[in-house]
Order: sequence, then structure tokens, then C-alpha cells
Amino acid sequence: MSPGGAVELTVDGRKVTVPAGTSVFDAARMNGIAIPTLCHQQNETPVGVCRVCVVDVGGRVLTASCVRPAENGMVVNTASDRVRGARRTLVELLMSDHPSPCARQQNTGDCELETLAKQFGITQPRFVHRSTGRGKDDSSPSIAVEFDACILCDRCIRGCSEIRHNFVLGRMGKGAQAGIAFDNNLPMGSSSCVSCGECMVSCPTGALTNKGVTGTALKSATNTQQVTPEELEQLPVFKGVSGTFLSLNRGAVVRRNFKKGEVICREGEYGSTAYYILSGRARVSISSPMAHVKTHGGAKGFFSKLTSALAMRREDKREEETDQRYIHIDAPIDLKYENPVAELGAGDLFGEMTCMSLYPRSATVRAETDCTMLEMLRNVLDIMQRNKNFRAQLDKSYRQRALDSHLRGVPVFASLTDEFISSLRDRVELVHYAKGQVICKQGDVADSFYLVRIGFVKVSQAHPGGELVVAYLSRGDYFGEIGLLQGDVRTATCTALDHVELVRFSGEDFNRMMVQFPDIRKKLEAVEHERLENNRQRLSLVQSVPLESFLAQGLMEAQSLLLLDLDRCTRCDACVRACADAHDGVTRLIREGLRFDHFLVATSCRHCRDPLCMVGCPVGSIRRRNSLEVIIEDWCVGCGLCAQNCPYGNINLHPFEVMVDDPEHAGRKKATMRRKATSCDLCTEHAEPSCVYACPHDAAHRVDPSKYFSGILGIAPPKAPKP
Amino acid sequence: MLIDKTHKKWLVLSLIILAGATAVYVPYAAKWPHGPSGSSPVGLGFGIAGFAFMIFAALLGARKKVPVWRLGRAQSWMRGHLWLGFLSLPLILFHGGFHFGGPLTTTLMVLLILVVGSGVFGAVLQNYMPNVIRVEVPLETVFEQIDRVRGRLLEEADEFVASASVASGSPLIITTQERGGVIADELPAISEADVMPLQKFYTRDMRPFLEHPGARGHALSESANARAMFQGLRTLLPPALHETVKDLEDICEEERQLRQQVRLHHWLHGWLLFHIPLSLALLLLGAVHAIVALRY
Repeated sequence: MSPGGAVELTVDGRKVTVPAGTSVFDAARMNGIAIPTLCHQQNETPVGVCRVCVVDVGGRVLTASCVRPAENGMVVNTASDRVRGARRTLVELLMSDHPSPCARQQNTGDCELETLAKQFGITQPRFVHRSTGRGKDDSSPSIAVEFDACILCDRCIRGCSEIRHNFVLGRMGKGAQAGIAFDNNLPMGSSSCVSCGECMVSCPTGALTNKGVTGTALKSATNTQQVTPEELEQLPVFKGVSGTFLSLNRGAVVRRNFKKGEVICREGEYGSTAYYILSGRARVSISSPMAHVKTHGGAKGFFSKLTSALAMRREDKREEETDQRYIHIDAPIDLKYENPVAELGAGDLFGEMTCMSLYPRSATVRAETDCTMLEMLRNVLDIMQRNKNFRAQLDKSYRQRALDSHLRGVPVFASLTDEFISSLRDRVELVHYAKGQVICKQGDVADSFYLVRIGFVKVSQAHPGGELVVAYLSRGDYFGEIGLLQGDVRTATCTALDHVELVRFSGEDFNRMMVQFPDIRKKLEAVEHERLENNRQRLSLVQSVPLESFLAQGLMEAQSLLLLDLDRCTRCDACVRACADAHDGVTRLIREGLRFDHFLVATSCRHCRDPLCMVGCPVGSIRRRNSLEVIIEDWCVGCGLCAQNCPYGNINLHPFEVMVDDPEHAGRKKATMRRKATSCDLCTEHAEPSCVYACPHDAAHRVDPSKYFSGILGIAPPKAPKP
Repeated sequence: MLIDKTHKKWLVLSLIILAGATAVYVPYAAKWPHGPSGSSPVGLGFGIAGFAFMIFAALLGARKKVPVWRLGRAQSWMRGHLWLGFLSLPLILFHGGFHFGGPLTTTLMVLLILVVGSGVFGAVLQNYMPNVIRVEVPLETVFEQIDRVRGRLLEEADEFVASASVASGSPLIITTQERGGVIADELPAISEADVMPLQKFYTRDMRPFLEHPGARGHALSESANARAMFQGLRTLLPPALHETVKDLEDICEEERQLRQQVRLHHWLHGWLLFHIPLSLALLLLGAVHAIVALRY
């Protein structure tokens, strides 16, 4: 050993001196001799798994230079024919499994493996390609994972653990089945990955690449300032995010300044961004009039009163209205039903559902003071949401400000005391799930109760012959009570339909609540009974219905069909006129549709048991009544998503005129057109739907198809639920 | 309205009223000194009852104008219209003692018979025609939309023929979904001469048929004729155009069904053009008769 702890060795015929402990790879590099490698990076611990950096040190076998320490008197040959041959074979073997050109090579042309293969003149590997692929993971909004392109170099694993200390990535499987995995082999989007981007920056191939949002960058406007990655890194919410990753997503986040009174986003509009308030305050509200499209706000004038009396029109009030205290919106707060206005401040994030799942805006947000906000696309929001600091801040804000109203907004929990909610504040867990992820599985032990915070959850049951969708749940809905009340297993599987965030109550807390609040227990037991009975009815119907056309037309899913008996109907259109008459001239039925037996199934809401229309409503204004009929609430913002989702075309959007503030003339109002969704409301203010009541030929009937057609189908009509 | 067993109550009620009226009329007619007369108390009673039934029957039209008003279900009004309207005829006959009287009363009696007759005719039509429409017009649409549907059919037909003409000169790829994949067959290129018979048939026969739905005696308006014509056309065309022929044949079938719907619809509702004005005239003259008779 040379004095001072240095070692002397010969590399490619050149005498070099390096500090003791230096690897052969570094010794060569420090002296200008480049040794190719794939698995080694200077900022990571060398592991010597790819063996591409092999050198000849005169031993029986070649050695991986990245892990072999330099020794005194060592003679190293980095480019002999033997070494080059070994490297070439290694690269050729790796290339035989590599989808060339991989995503990285296609996008930026710098896949390290393909670059090496080019250097070695490998165009077509001699070895047989793997017959079955290893798949892709598209679950993360910001990083694409292509397992076929992974060479198991472990650079991502070391980046995740050694550099970022996240410990999400690891190895799974053995031999040909070996691969990288997130957490316990979860999809990346569902794992505890914080989207810092380090793995992607570390990856030498196209196995982990930046997704970007399909080539979009936010539009520039006069109030827009581009934000550099350096500026973003200074913000606490981006602390811990890879600078390279932020550079790759340049343009996907901008700073916007809004003047007092300026509209930031409007309800019902489609968008793809979320906003994070840096400074200032914003007012969030629903500006659509709180009314059904048919607005009988009390008859005025003698004739109106007389006609109202003759029509025996009861007050248009829904029995659940007294329970409805909050409107759930896409923000960290809920709006009060009687006064749907609230305020957001610095540190608040809104528009998550629009950004993550492309739902229409649920409310109008206007700058209350001069505001500065970050407007971001999905990939950036994903990074933020996965950032531990930011997540903690959001969760804290939710626990302090929204848990209370969220819980009380659910009619069943309205009677919870402040003390009990306070005791829950730090005990509930806020969990999130990616699209398609299973939240709980039928047959699993029931250990938690869930309250939906964001997104839509599908509840389904597995039966011989397929999956039966039992319900779709949205913000404000809850699940998991049946298993807990019965002290048994889950009776259904719950799956996230999009980006879903839930409040998870432990079984212990749930039981404590049941003991402390017997009235809530009673209500939940009633809900449990109702849900089980409905499921049983649906199942018996599915199992017994023999007619294909009945199923093909979706009639089995309907709770209430408007049928026109074509052997009685004289096509006089009295039903259509009556419907229009009952709804301010806007009919909600069309005398056309599919035929079943000698009936015409009119185009009018079927109040499906499986109401697809409810999925995606940004404000939850289309919902089921306690009696399971689907209704559209007064706060509909007219986005039209329900109409798009209805498979039978039974929801329509109708324009109507409202007076709004004129932005060009302060203090003045101007008429503008707004839309609201309409569907058959079964004329709830009357004892019988007007279409049926007005049919002079006894041809129109509103029926439960499973009962009405039980004779034709040869099935026993389902029993009415027990009280 | 379909007259079925659900009318049993109304039938029984009507028979009771008729029997009661007959039971009153027969001794009255036998014992009244100068024979039954409209001016006698019993005759006047029959007249008032008969006229009341007529007014009730006429009120159905007014009831339909306010469908949302909760004045009783429309079908109950319709049943009342049918049975009480029908009963007004014997009551009025009892009222006049089966005599038609002077010019006004004779006119009234004729009008009443015509109104009741046309009503019975309408009831019979409403009993059977809905079923006929259902069976004969499976592609039935909303009556008011027929012209629009026709316009769309004509546009579609034009497009089919135009696309066949455009396709000439290039090979036609026909894909069929098979188990496990899609099979694509390449059919030989179509020449302009190949398309000529189609264009000629369309211009000469089919388009006029679609354009003038009111015209009678068109060969394509008979389904057997149409089938033969399209079969003949197929023999003149290469297989690549048979799909187009099928589409055109379907359009003609739909047009035929629309014509049939119009025809049946006119039958189903046409009698009202006779029934309603006569009813109004009857009520008006009946009121004049009542005033004149009571006053003078």
C-alpha cells in the first residue's frame, strides 16, 4: 500500500493511484477510462447485478468493477477481447428480453441499454425472446411502468430507499418471475408511492417513464406566470419531490393571480385542473337556482291558486329534505343546504375530482380577495397528493374543518355529539384508492366502516353466473356497516370506480358509536335490513328471470317502468300532454322506445336498481330517495353527465332563463340561460303520475316490472320488504 | 278504449238505469192519456236525464284540456262518456215517446242517432285498431314525427346510392366478425357500369316512392311487388352491392309501414272529425230545444 492509505494499480497499462477502498470502476473513471455499466450510479451503493462493468483482473473469472475494490499492484484490463465478448453477450441477453425501442428510447432516445447495444453492434439478439410479457402498470397518473423493459438493475429500488428514504420499491419473485414491486406488489397508483419521481429518474431504460398528461401544458393567460422547478421546490408542498421530475412536468403547473371578484371556475364546466390556494381567500358557492325545473314556489294569484287546488298539488317537498343539511362538493368543505356558500383560504386545495377523474366542476369559485393560486394538471396533483407533508396538511385540514360537517351531512349520523366527533378526529384514518382498486372483498372479515369522501364506489356481489352490482356510492354515502353490525364477514365487494378517498373508522370506534348512540344503531340496522332485503330481491329476480329480451332491455334493473299497452293505446298523446302540463310545458316522457310483449316501454326514467346516472355527478344532486326512486335535486348544476350516463336516454337537459350579475355593468343583472337535468319524478306531489292519471284508455301504467311481468315470465313476484 | 271485463261495473250500472227507465216508461206510455209526450212530467224527466248524460259525455273533451287537474281519472271519464253517452239515446227516445216530432226535434233525433252511432263506431275502432297497428306496424313512430322520419329515410337512401357510386373503381373490403377475430374479404372492384342498374332503379322507382308518400298505386307500395323488384335488381348487380340493396329494401319497408301507420291512424282518429262537430251541434240545438220547449 502506498503512503497515505492510497493504492497503486495498473488499468489498461496505465499506472494509477487511488485512495484505498476505491472501486476498480471508480479508479478507472477517475483516470479517464470509461467502463460501461447499467446498474451502477454514482449516488447509489454499487450492487454489481448487471455485470456489464466486468473487467479482467487476471483471475479465473471476470469481476464486476463497480463492487471490486482496487488493490495494490492489481493489473486491470477493461477492454480485452474476453471482457468485450462477455459484455456483448450480457447486453445481447438483456436485449433479447427488451421491447426495443422502449418508451424511453422512443421519447428521448437515451435508453442506456439500447445505446450500449448499438455500441456493440447488436441489432438482432441471437437468443429467443421471452414468450409471455411481464405486463404494464398504468395505475399511476404520473409514472408509466413497463415491466418488459426492466433489466432488474435495482437502480430504482436504491433511489427509492437510499436517496428518498421512501422504501416503496422492492424485488418480488425469483428467476424468470423476478421483478420490481411497489409495496407488497400493489399497483403503483394504489401503493404508498409518493410520486417523487426518483425511480423514474434512476431507471436506465423505459421501464419507468414520465407519463406527462398527453402533451398538455396549461394555457397561458394574462394572469398566468410560469413556475420553474426551482421555485416549486421552494414551496413546502413540493418538498421532497425530485427536481428532475418537476422539470419533466414543466408547464403542468402554473401560478395564477386572480383579482377580487374574478371567477376562478364555474359549476358545470368541464375542466382538468385543480387549484391550490397560495394566498388570499375564495368564495365557493352554487349559483344555479335551488329549484326543480318545475318550480311551483307557491301559487300566486286567484286563478293560479284555483288551478293548484283543482290539480290537488301538494307542496313539492321531499320527505328527506329535512335531513339534507349539506351539499357535498369537490372541495375540502361542504355547503349548507339553506345557504350554499363557503370560504376557502391559503393552503386549501379544490377541484380534485375534476382533475383526477375529469368530472365537471361542482361549484362556482370566485376570488373573495386578490388571490394567488397554483393551477395544476393531474400528474402534478398526484405528486402533491402523494407528498407526505402535503398529505398531512390536507388530512389535518379535513379533520379540523370537514369531518364534522361531512359526518353530520349523513342523515343517519346527524345526532352525533360534538364530543364524540372530537374523539374521532384523530382516530379516523383517511385512505385513498386508485381506479379499479378493491377496497374490501366479499367474505373478508369486517373490521372497518367507511364514509365516502371523494369519488365513486361500486358495491357488488359475486354470484354463480357473474357479478351483481348492488349500488354505486358517492360522497356522503357509507358502507361496511352490515358486516360490523352482524359481527361477521363482508357481504359485498367494494371497488373504487375512480380516484376514491374514504374516511375509515375502525371496528372498535364503530362499536363504541353503536353503544353510545342507540338511535344511530337503530337507523343503521334499518338501513342494513333494507339493503339486505333489496339485495335478496334482486338476486331472486336475476336467478328466476328466463326471458332474454327482458334482460337484454335492462327491464330487470328497473324499479318503475312507464308501460303503454299497445293494444289499448290509441296514440292520442294524452300522457305526453299531461306530463308537459305537470312540468311547466317540458315533457319528461317520449312515447317511443323498446317493445316488450304488447307493451311499449316509454322513454321515461326507470328508477334503475343499478343507477349508472348517479356515477360522476359532481354535486351529488342526482340521488336515490329513501324509497329508492332516483330524483334530481335542486342544486343540479346542469353539467349533463347523468344524461350521458343514462343508458336509456331517459334524462334530458332543459334550458331555462335566470338573472345573474352582469360583469360588464356592476349592480345590474342580465338574463342568461342555464340548464338543469330533468327526468321523471313520478309526479311526487300527486298521488299518481300525471301521465297515468290522464290516460283515458287505461293504457299507461307505472309498474314494478318484476311484479307486473311475473305472469309472463313465470316467476313468483318478489315479496315486499318487511317494515 | 278497449271494452273488456273491467267495464263490468259500468255495464251493470247502465243496464240498471236502462231497466229502471224502461220500468218507468212502459206504464207511463200505456197509461198517459194522449200517449207519451216530452212535455209531460215523466217525459220531461227523461229529457233532462238524457240531456244531462249528453252534457256529461261532452265534458270529456273539456276534461282532457286540463289533464293534471285531479277531477277523477281520465279513464273513468272515458268510461262514463261511453256508457252514459250511449244511454242518452234510449232516454231521449223515451222522452219523445219514440216520435221524432217537428223539424227541430227530428233534426235533434237524427243528430243524436248519428252521434251515438259514430261513437259506437269509434269505440269499435278503438277496440281493435290499436292491436292492428301494433301487429302491422312494428316500426311505428310518433305520428307527428312521420314527416321527419321520412326525410331521414330519403337522406339515408340517397347516401347509400351515392356511396355505392363512389365505391366503384376501388375494391370493396367486407369485414365479418368471426369467433376470435375479424375476417376481411376483398370483393372485386365495382365498375361504373355495375352501379348503373342500381342508380337507374333508384332514380326511376324508389326515389319517387319515397318522395311522394301520398301517391297511390306505386309498385313498391306492395310488399310482394317490392320483394320481387329488389330480387330482380340483385340479379343485375355484383355481390358487392347486395348489402346496399338490402339497406334500400329496408328503407322501402319502413316507408311502407309509415304509410300503413298513417292510414290506420286516420281510421283510428278520423271518425272524431264527424263525431265531435255533430256532438257540438247536438248540444247546441238540444239547448235551443230545451229553452224553446220550457219557455213556450
